[in-house]
Amino acid sequence: MSVGFDGMGAAYFDGDSPEPREVSLHVAEGMLQIGMDNGTTLRWPVEEVRQLPDIAVKTGIVLRRASDPVARLFVTDKTLLPHLPQLTRRAPPKWCGRLAAWAVAAVAAVGLQIFVLIPLLADNLAGFIPPEGERALGEATYGQIREALDDTGLNPLEVCEAPDGVAALDALVDRLSGERDFRQQVNVSVLDHKMVNAFALPGGFVVIFRGLIDAADGPDEVAAVLAHEIGHVVSSDPTRHALRTAGSIGVLGLLFGDFAGGAAVLFLTERLISAQYSQAAETGADAFAHDVLAEANISPGALGDMFASMRAEHGDAEGVVAHFLTHPSLGERIKAARAEVDEGATYQPSMSPEEWAAVQTICD
Amino acid sequence: MNDTPIINSPWQSKPQPKVVPAGTEAESGLTVEFTGKRAALFWLALKTGFFTILTLGFYRFWMKTRLRRWYWSAMRPGGHPLEYVGDPIEKLLGFFIAVVILTFYIGIVNLLLMFVSFSVFNSSVIGYVASFAGLIPLWFYARYRARRYVLGRTRWRGVRFGLEKGAWGYAMRALWYWFLTIISLGILWPRMTFLLEKYRTDRTFFGSAQMVQGGRWQNLLPATRPFVASLLFLGAVLLWTLRVDPVFPGGIADGAELAGALDGLVEGRIEGLEWVNPIRLILIPLGLSGLLFGAIWYVWVSKRIMANHKIGPGVQFASDLSGLRVTFIYVLGNFIAYMMLVIGVVALVLLAAFVFSDSLVFFADMPGAGAVSDLPRWVSVVLLAVLYLTFFLLWGVLYNTFVTYPLMRHMAVTTTLPIVVGLPLISQRDRDAFAEAEGFAEALDLGAAI
Repeated sequence: MSVGFDGMGAAYFDGDSPEPREVSLHVAEGMLQIGMDNGTTLRWPVEEVRQLPDIAVKTGIVLRRASDPVARLFVTDKTLLPHLPQLTRRAPPKWCGRLAAWAVAAVAAVGLQIFVLIPLLADNLAGFIPPEGERALGEATYGQIREALDDTGLNPLEVCEAPDGVAALDALVDRLSGERDFRQQVNVSVLDHKMVNAFALPGGFVVIFRGLIDAADGPDEVAAVLAHEIGHVVSSDPTRHALRTAGSIGVLGLLFGDFAGGAAVLFLTERLISAQYSQAAETGADAFAHDVLAEANISPGALGDMFASMRAEHGDAEGVVAHFLTHPSLGERIKAARAEVDEGATYQPSMSPEEWAAVQTICD
Repeated sequence: MNDTPIINSPWQSKPQPKVVPAGTEAESGLTVEFTGKRAALFWLALKTGFFTILTLGFYRFWMKTRLRRWYWSAMRPGGHPLEYVGDPIEKLLGFFIAVVILTFYIGIVNLLLMFVSFSVFNSSVIGYVASFAGLIPLWFYARYRARRYVLGRTRWRGVRFGLEKGAWGYAMRALWYWFLTIISLGILWPRMTFLLEKYRTDRTFFGSAQMVQGGRWQNLLPATRPFVASLLFLGAVLLWTLRVDPVFPGGIADGAELAGALDGLVEGRIEGLEWVNPIRLILIPLGLSGLLFGAIWYVWVSKRIMANHKIGPGVQFASDLSGLRVTFIYVLGNFIAYMMLVIGVVALVLLAAFVFSDSLVFFADMPGAGAVSDLPRWVSVVLLAVLYLTFFLLWGVLYNTFVTYPLMRHMAVTTTLPIVVGLPLISQRDRDAFAEAEGFAEALDLGAAI
């Protein structure tokens, strides 16, 4: 049985010349018969005929034969389509092996880069940056943070500079420094913000938020946090981290391309990666703080007390969320700090009541 | 051709070159139809964009392929659709190849540049500038490669297009022309536009036929008129309001003083500042809009002028593109896309607030919430991520629907091929095997354009 179709407007392209050839169209004996004006007839088995996908309008459909990469048949009569059973069948996947090989290579390259080469380079180069360079880097970051945290959006966040409070903090750094003599490297300042946090920046900048002083139960807790941040400064963690970020953010930018604007995804991923790095640094800084506090005759348990009151305020972050926070799980750190307390020792408070009062009112 | 009726005779035994089916005009050349419906494109963009988000971006290679297939098949010179045969898998492969090559370059070079910048110059700015400058040649290289890939995967009437190799030559020329443009304060910009287009066009093939970009760069000078006029206007306005007849005769110390003065104006009080016809300042934003208009006009009208000088053997192009219409599409399209985006996002936020109203309570800083506060934070992170991605999905879809679509349509219907006698002489060209597809362009973030 043979069925004929409307060849009006239909054209056959042989895949060599861009000249359309008029055709007559029939389906008979499982073959799509394409009759040319010169009397020749092409026979395409109906199950080998495919339709080009995602065509804008269905009034002109383009057909091809699965075994022929270039020849095309342009048809306008849609009643032909039901006779072609495999129109939308996909070609078998090509280059699977190559694709898998390059995917592995890409993952390996990025992994090697982010987890091995960049940290290695950053760790080694951080020691070679001259102090002025570190200071400039820290100052720039400090300025950006002050501007970013300001709620009004007009002026950078205020630095608290009540003279008595500043003097008390300086005295505290002196006491913590003791024999180690890191006094010259460290530059402590307090920012007027309610966040319970503190951080270190390249160039020895240690920044404490007013919120942390308000939340602390006594001066020892502030001293403990200060000792912890000084630990970061002494091992130049912030500088390493800045170098590392510069390298890895470029690599990650490549991966995401223009997907979803990239920036936010980029930031989250960077957090995820740097969290692991910082956990090692955090543990090191904790250990440094325990030693420094003990040498200055201040109870190392104060660091644990500070974490405990932070946990009471915000809850512990464990599991998936913990990955997004740079600090290791608080419970572990509280335990570690309390284990450092020597039962036999008699610890002195880190500040006198007058000094502590001055620090508490440093932002007034 | 006068003998066409005889050739068309049904009793003619051998097919003759000039036989062309209905819908085309062999004698008077070919016109280009554009047949796609906007709604169909909207759904395709929405669907593929949604999959892209679900797959964390991996579907973007399929999205791009499918959108291109759609646009290409909508453009029909002589009634026959263009065909895009690019393969998503080959794009993915090309992306992996580019990542392998570029990670080492970008990661290590960025880190070293930052190091040098901190140690030698005590600032990060130089590092950023150098790391950006190092990418510029690569950027031009990637653009040429991407064009070669797209042309190599485009067919019409079964015959392939193609672009010859020459990406580094293109990158070097682009850098040199940019340098000349900058030191000539922009006067040689049209020369750069023309010569870069000529470099590409002269290497473009349709089957066996090589294209040639005729004309001279001076032909583009008329296209710069609106831009130059806006520039002169803006210059004159600045001169008038600042020097000849200053708005502030007392002078303005800095931005803060100006902001304060504007504040005072808004609140209906004038504090000691002398104004002389401050209304004249409105001319400045007017001049800036003129510059934007002039820039869009130049980009598209110069395309038209160059299209009118493109020829192949026995084939000629003509374009009747309207600069005004294109500017209109940009302004209106962007406006509609933004409006719909804002409405869509507000609706989404309201919906989210409604659905998640129970957990929203926990967002507030509840003292003593303890371990429970962990979960809401997690929920809020996911919620925010979804909102953010939806925002970008919607933006892409709306931009496609209201800017890319009308632009493509206008470009298609204003293009004609008045002379096509050379078409029968053209034959197929070999396939351009192209391992990395447009991987470099994708990795370097150039892939946003269709």
